[in-house]
Amino acid sequence: MAAPVPPGAPRQRPPPQSNYNPNFQQNPNALFDNFQNLNINRPVSMPNSTPRPTPFAQTPPFPSTTPQPPMSRPGPPPPGVVPRSMGTQQPTLPPNVAQRPPAPPAGQSFPFGGRPPPGSFPSSMGSGGPVGVPPSGVPLAGALPSSGSLAGPFAPPPSARPFASSSTLSSGMNVPPSSAQDGLTSNGPLSYAASGAAPGGPRFPPPGSAMQTQTPPVGHPSMVASVRSPPQSPSMRFPLGSAGISSSMVPPMQQAMPFSVPPQSAPPFSSAPPISAAPPQGVPPPQGSPFGPQTWQSRQVGPSHPIPGSVQPPRMFGMPPPLPTQSMTTIPPAMGQTGAPVAASSKIDPQQIPRPIPSSMVVMYDTREGNQSNTPPPATSDYIVRDTGNCSPRYMRCTISQIPCTNDLLATSGMQLALLVQPLALPHPSEEAIQVVDFGESGPVRCSRCKAYINPFMRFIDQGRRFICNLCGFTDETPRDYHCNLGPDGRRRDADERPELCRGTVEFIATKEYMVRDPMPAVYFFLIDVSMNAIQTGATAAACGAISQVIADLPEGPRTMVGIATFDCTIHFYNLKRALQQPLMLIVPDIEDVYTPLESDVIVPLSECRQHLEMLLESIPSMFLNNRTAESAFGAAVKASFLAMKSTGGKLLVFQSVLPSVGIGALSAREAEGRSNISAGEKESHKLLQPADKTLKAMAMEFAEYQVCVDVFLTTQTYVDIASISVIPRITGGQVYYYYPFSALPDPAKLYNDLRWNITRPQGFEAVMRVRCSQGIQVQDYYGNFCKRIPTDIDLPAIDCNKAIMVTLKHDDKLQDGSECAFQCALLYTTVYGQRRIRVTTLSLPCTSNLSNLYRSADLDTQFTCFMKQAANEIPSTPLVNVREQMMNLCVNALVSYRKFCATVSSSGQLILPEALKLLPLYTLALIKSAGLRNDGRIDDRSFWITYVSSVSIPLAVPFVYPRMVAIHDLDSKVEGGSPIPPFLPLSSEHVSDEGIYLLENGEDALIYIGSSVDSNILRQLLGINSVEEIPTQFVLQQFDNPLSKKLNEVINEIRSQRCSYLRLKLCKKGDQSGMLFFSYLVEDKIPTGGQSYVEFLINIHRQIQVKMS
Amino acid sequence: MAEFMDLEAQDGVRMAWNVLPGTKQEANNCVVPVSAIYTPIKPFPTIPVLPYAPLRCRTCRSILNPFSIVDFAAKIWICPFCFQRNHFPPHYASITDDNLPAELFPQYTTIEYESPGDKSSSVPPVFMFVVDTCIIEEEMSFLRSALSQAIDLLPDNSLVGLITFGSLVHVHELGFGHIPKSYVFKGSKDVSKDQLLEQLNFFLKKPKPSAGVIAGVRDGLSSETIARFLLPASDCEFALNSVLEELQKDPWPVPPDQRATRCTGTALSIAATLLGACVPGSGARIMAFVGGPSTEGPAAIVSKNLSEPIRSHKDLDKDSAPNYHKAVKFYDALSKQLVHQGHVLDLFACALDQVGVAELKVAVEKTGGLVVLAESFGHSVFKDSLRRVFHSGDSDLGLSSNGIFEINCSKDIKVQGIIGPCASLEKKGPLCSDTVVGQGSTSAWKMCGLDKATSLCLIFEIVKKDIPDATAQSTSNQFYFQFLTYYQHNSGQMRLRVTTLSRRWVAGPGSIQDLIAGFDQEAAVVVMARLVSFKMEIEAEFDPIRWLDKALIHVCSRFGDFQKDSPSSFSLSPRFSIFPQFIFNLRRSQFVQVFNNSPDETAYFRMILNRENVTNSIVMIQPSLISYSFHSGPEPALLDVAAIAADRILLLDSYFTVVIFHGATIAQWRKAGYHHQPEHQAFAQLLQAPRDDADAIIKERFPVPRLVICDQHGSQARFLLAKLNPSATYNSDARVPGGDIIFTDDVSFEVFLDHLQRLAVQ
Repeated sequence: MAAPVPPGAPRQRPPPQSNYNPNFQQNPNALFDNFQNLNINRPVSMPNSTPRPTPFAQTPPFPSTTPQPPMSRPGPPPPGVVPRSMGTQQPTLPPNVAQRPPAPPAGQSFPFGGRPPPGSFPSSMGSGGPVGVPPSGVPLAGALPSSGSLAGPFAPPPSARPFASSSTLSSGMNVPPSSAQDGLTSNGPLSYAASGAAPGGPRFPPPGSAMQTQTPPVGHPSMVASVRSPPQSPSMRFPLGSAGISSSMVPPMQQAMPFSVPPQSAPPFSSAPPISAAPPQGVPPPQGSPFGPQTWQSRQVGPSHPIPGSVQPPRMFGMPPPLPTQSMTTIPPAMGQTGAPVAASSKIDPQQIPRPIPSSMVVMYDTREGNQSNTPPPATSDYIVRDTGNCSPRYMRCTISQIPCTNDLLATSGMQLALLVQPLALPHPSEEAIQVVDFGESGPVRCSRCKAYINPFMRFIDQGRRFICNLCGFTDETPRDYHCNLGPDGRRRDADERPELCRGTVEFIATKEYMVRDPMPAVYFFLIDVSMNAIQTGATAAACGAISQVIADLPEGPRTMVGIATFDCTIHFYNLKRALQQPLMLIVPDIEDVYTPLESDVIVPLSECRQHLEMLLESIPSMFLNNRTAESAFGAAVKASFLAMKSTGGKLLVFQSVLPSVGIGALSAREAEGRSNISAGEKESHKLLQPADKTLKAMAMEFAEYQVCVDVFLTTQTYVDIASISVIPRITGGQVYYYYPFSALPDPAKLYNDLRWNITRPQGFEAVMRVRCSQGIQVQDYYGNFCKRIPTDIDLPAIDCNKAIMVTLKHDDKLQDGSECAFQCALLYTTVYGQRRIRVTTLSLPCTSNLSNLYRSADLDTQFTCFMKQAANEIPSTPLVNVREQMMNLCVNALVSYRKFCATVSSSGQLILPEALKLLPLYTLALIKSAGLRNDGRIDDRSFWITYVSSVSIPLAVPFVYPRMVAIHDLDSKVEGGSPIPPFLPLSSEHVSDEGIYLLENGEDALIYIGSSVDSNILRQLLGINSVEEIPTQFVLQQFDNPLSKKLNEVINEIRSQRCSYLRLKLCKKGDQSGMLFFSYLVEDKIPTGGQSYVEFLINIHRQIQVKMS
Repeated sequence: MAEFMDLEAQDGVRMAWNVLPGTKQEANNCVVPVSAIYTPIKPFPTIPVLPYAPLRCRTCRSILNPFSIVDFAAKIWICPFCFQRNHFPPHYASITDDNLPAELFPQYTTIEYESPGDKSSSVPPVFMFVVDTCIIEEEMSFLRSALSQAIDLLPDNSLVGLITFGSLVHVHELGFGHIPKSYVFKGSKDVSKDQLLEQLNFFLKKPKPSAGVIAGVRDGLSSETIARFLLPASDCEFALNSVLEELQKDPWPVPPDQRATRCTGTALSIAATLLGACVPGSGARIMAFVGGPSTEGPAAIVSKNLSEPIRSHKDLDKDSAPNYHKAVKFYDALSKQLVHQGHVLDLFACALDQVGVAELKVAVEKTGGLVVLAESFGHSVFKDSLRRVFHSGDSDLGLSSNGIFEINCSKDIKVQGIIGPCASLEKKGPLCSDTVVGQGSTSAWKMCGLDKATSLCLIFEIVKKDIPDATAQSTSNQFYFQFLTYYQHNSGQMRLRVTTLSRRWVAGPGSIQDLIAGFDQEAAVVVMARLVSFKMEIEAEFDPIRWLDKALIHVCSRFGDFQKDSPSSFSLSPRFSIFPQFIFNLRRSQFVQVFNNSPDETAYFRMILNRENVTNSIVMIQPSLISYSFHSGPEPALLDVAAIAADRILLLDSYFTVVIFHGATIAQWRKAGYHHQPEHQAFAQLLQAPRDDADAIIKERFPVPRLVICDQHGSQARFLLAKLNPSATYNSDARVPGGDIIFTDDVSFEVFLDHLQRLAVQ
């Protein structure tokens, strides 16, 4: 998912909240928001681009959003309120109002009409689709045409235009409203705001179905009308809002075209409309239908105005579609599955189905406003945080930004309750640095019962003489020297001067009490494979090269120590003592019972061994040039290195190229065994994803105990059994880097950059972490890369800014509605410069007993990341089929309750998605198709996937399964401010043309796909080759002296910095392995081997929801 | 005595009895066993080296010798051992009475053969240095300089390897050109041969042989691989020196209450295995430089805890040295391995404390290794000895290797064994006696290392029951012995030295005078010394003093002249006259009075005793004392406290120590610096004379003795006093002229003789 999307998304959310708070205009939207039906509506953020929201005009959502929130703050968000929101909305709406009303109605109307629509859409599809769609490239055109017809209907909206965009979102009639809201809230900008808005809307609905009804009535009529007529136009909507779908549905009906049969099935999607707010999701699963057409932009033209918007939508491709046409809903034969696809009853316009909305806007985000916690922007968006009490969401965020009061409520919602903690996350450069607080010898003030650290939510009473712990409720005496009187507002007078009383994240200087020994020095030990394969593939040279370059980046100072060792079937240490003329090689040949050959001098202060180290690194590749040892004693080497580091702890960086075949922890080529025994292989294949034996795990536990963190760089061309090897980095807080198949041409650069980042990124050593929760909630478990010896704490020999830890939570009591529930993560660690610190991150969230609030505050990215991590956890122990099913169920469960309890739609034929989670199906689909859950992947790829996911942070998790694709053949034709990265394309082969060159990246790999008939001029400019035939298999990005190439470099560099990863660049061309690889990332496509297309998947989801509901 | 010396000068043999008792009964009555001290490769200036293969008897394989009866007409010779008639081969066709091959010349009872074909396959000598690094920096630097000097002296073609050890064992791969490289092995773990080969990457380029002994080039090891660890001295001098230069003290920390972790046993085992793999069967020496006790691994002799003292003789007696037997067992196994491979272990032990020589003894002795015990690597005893090892020229040691020693003898004689630096090859046969002494039950022995001074002590047994008849006796009253020594000469060629001896035997009542005439009392006491040392090591509860006294009394009663029960009538033939004195001094020597020494020292003394010839051994047993004064030239003095005089200089040679003792007056003069004054030239000369003599002794001897220069009443004077007969002690009445007394309760020689006479005549 393109990061860009976020912007839109965030907005949506914020709005919802605001909604709660009756105050804002946005609120109204909120109503709708809630609804977000799957409808395709996901008004694309596109809208954003188009400054839909005239009203708000504000640019990008954020700003606007922010403001809004405040608004909402004021009125603490009584959940119940929501309904009112309606009322409020209206107020807000005022401007829009007029429009809205209509919209809602529309939505409702839909229901009725909606169902039938399925057909309609199709029809629209049929008619418009073909036309409009194809033109994806030419979205507009296509759109227009189709829209054309639709347009008519919507036409009215046009006026609404401003909103229009939003309306588009709402896509459907009903939706529109919601969307509109979104738009509004978000800022009007259509951006997906619309969709967001929609959600908002929904909420209302949920609360009171009445609401919906109400709303609907208003807009409906018109809507309906529009809808029907619009079939086409609806299509627009669909994409955006549920309405769309419904509408689409309708049309079909009317048309009676193909769908006749399908209708029912189709309906599901269409259903959305009910909630006026909820954008219809008509998600008829068009099979392979021609989605092609849509371009991103087209998709959602952010309908700023809900209802009206819906109308407007038309504009598909066109950028900000002025026209209402958006509805491209080409809903191909949705349900058609059974019957003739085409016939597809439900038509879903693939262009209108929910997709991430990119945004290049930077959002300003205050963590709390008005003493209320503020719903955070999506993790994948670009935002700047101001810590006003709660921690930055970068450090800790919850899957739901409001905490359900009871376990029952949580269970009903079908959502997960978990925190994702990334204690050392990289801040945005413009954010205020974390303040360091020194309490002197007494150490930080803590609750004497639960040991929680002082934080802004501890309440001082009794003239400041005592304070109540916000986590356990215990009343403590204020230490005398920390006493301060309270001001009139009940806060300490010094609260604003003391970071620990006004910031969600602070660092305390640790006192002796927090040390069992002096803080450890920064120790870096490099362990390099020099076996025959490593030497011959150039892996050793690459590793040595990378290390010698990176030495300059190691922390300065006398406390930085380094050591180096190499290994094949023996282990070679080097005595780097300065007094020696040259390093001394010491070989440990006993790989069954290893030891370190020297007590000291193997690891020496960097300042004393630079020369030796350089000399050594230079000569290692030549020293082993004729090495004929094919064996590798990885386990033994790691163990021996550990022994050398045991006294201090530190980072062990291992460069490994082949399957560890001898010595301690030797592994066998299980993969081959698995393959040769296929019948067993199928059933037991997941066993290959489990560590082969316990030796490595036991070793890892020991390493962790002595604070040794192991990072493994796998520069291999064969199976290396990552499943077994990865145990070590995972338990020791390390990381696995995987270069497969390693190539000496392009990979050394990545290796160097990875190593450099590994060493230079913010990090800490010998860390211990614990999360504390307010009474009523407790930590269930931690997931991530660490070692756990006691239930409450996790030990992290090392932790860095890229590592995230998932903390699952459970209720052990009821929470009080209206109170706040706090989470505090305390990380005790040593900096690379040897200071002992405690980073305390506190997050206080409101509790709610309202289901729709939960949906409104659901954090899609976070939830999805939890899904991924759970999947990663399951894969090694469960057959893949079951895991996929499980993921489906997680997705369906969250949606079912929403459909059941929050959506007012009466028709079961519509697929309605909560606005906040409207992308969940898409992401789930992407997850199911990801390397980790696919059947056909290499075992190592899957293991790597698991390992990667286990510690991945949210902003990187989403793109990892839902990559971002951009066209790069026309980079120079677009001149835009802001981000150099061009807009994203949906991951569908329809958006890949033979004349184009595309870049697809997931944070690890970047594939450059070169169409078969690309202009050779472009080829020459970008890649320095003359024709497609000359495409090299190995690729190193070069910068040529032409604007296109410069742009490309700029784009790639931007991506690299976003992802903190150098990316493995690979060229792909049609018709060979590389092409297949590229297309395997296009998750919206139907995979010949059985993977569903996005539309099919939506239909599938819808069907399952229906089943569950009945 | 002189005739015995002459015999030695001809054949390198000294026998206690040069006329043998003819029957088992008589031999038993002789007390001192029939025995020979043989120096197998004693250099003879005139020895002929025959460039052809020896002629052997068809049945007993003995070699044609001057005692063979030759029928020139029939071209037949009769073997004196088995009486087999052998035809001469065709190339001896021209043999006649006056055209004899050298081996039949009567004076060439000792002769050497050198087969010409062997030259090509000669392997250069191999030296594997095994160096302890758990020593203080000062010692380290001494050792470094000693080693680098030694390396300079190495023959250019010799192969050199280096292993250093401390807590861990470092096997240096000298052939690796890029940077100094070493393989590191854990000291606490014994590494098997297979493991070692594997871990040293010996099979990289070839599949590992499925079975069988893997060894050397012949068995598939590439010479390239071998060259990683063993390099010609000329090629690796630089590498070796740079490693030595940077050789650090073992870096593992040693807590103040602990000994350093030192894995001597493992290091030696690895060295042995490595040599076994690379150069099996060719002459190679492991030269171990050890600076302290082994505390780690299978051959630890003491725990690391300093509160536990290193075992003493008392502990060994009480069997309360927990590590002793284990370590000895380990080194015994190691010695077998080395013997099998034909390699030598040399030990240079330099420490103030014990290092475990007692445990290592078995390995050093069985392989014929050299041993040097000194207090420090900076001490001249070590430095000069090491230099001697590699020194070529007049005083070179004549180090040879890969020796095999075999004997043949007449059928009435059996061999009980050899006490000396060799190992049994377990070649059993009719020659072997059931009684075993030393390395027995065999008629062939391996001498992995031998030099020109190496002397074996062979113990024989006469098995003839009684005398047939006088006539038969007259015809064949000769016993024959043939000693065959195959060895790799230090030129690299294989040689065979043959010594054939003939001795008359006597039996019956009149034979005693013949026996007395043939008695070599020096050889006899040396044999007794080796025997008593051996028995002290082997037999539990053995009382050496009692055993020696009994033996002496028996000898005196049998061969003395006396009237029964009249001590004053007792007299001994000149052939026996000093035997009691030798025994008296042997009783007081370090070989018997072990409690003054540590087990390491005792082991050291005994190892030297067991490898030295008679003359040197006698010095160890009964030191020589020379007196220098203005009154006369240097003259031997009685080894008695009475020899001390204020105006004399004494030079005591106790073999391990050479003491120059200045009488009180001499010392005063010297301190006053008279010898620097031209008018006191004579005094300077007097001072210099003993120095020159001492230097001469030191120059000839290996290990180099310790030189002590002391003054009367000085603390160092104890080195002299301990050796003197305590004829004047603190409780004796008469003050002797020299004015010195010895504080001891030991009996003096006079008292000893009195008792002896009394007991002998009973």
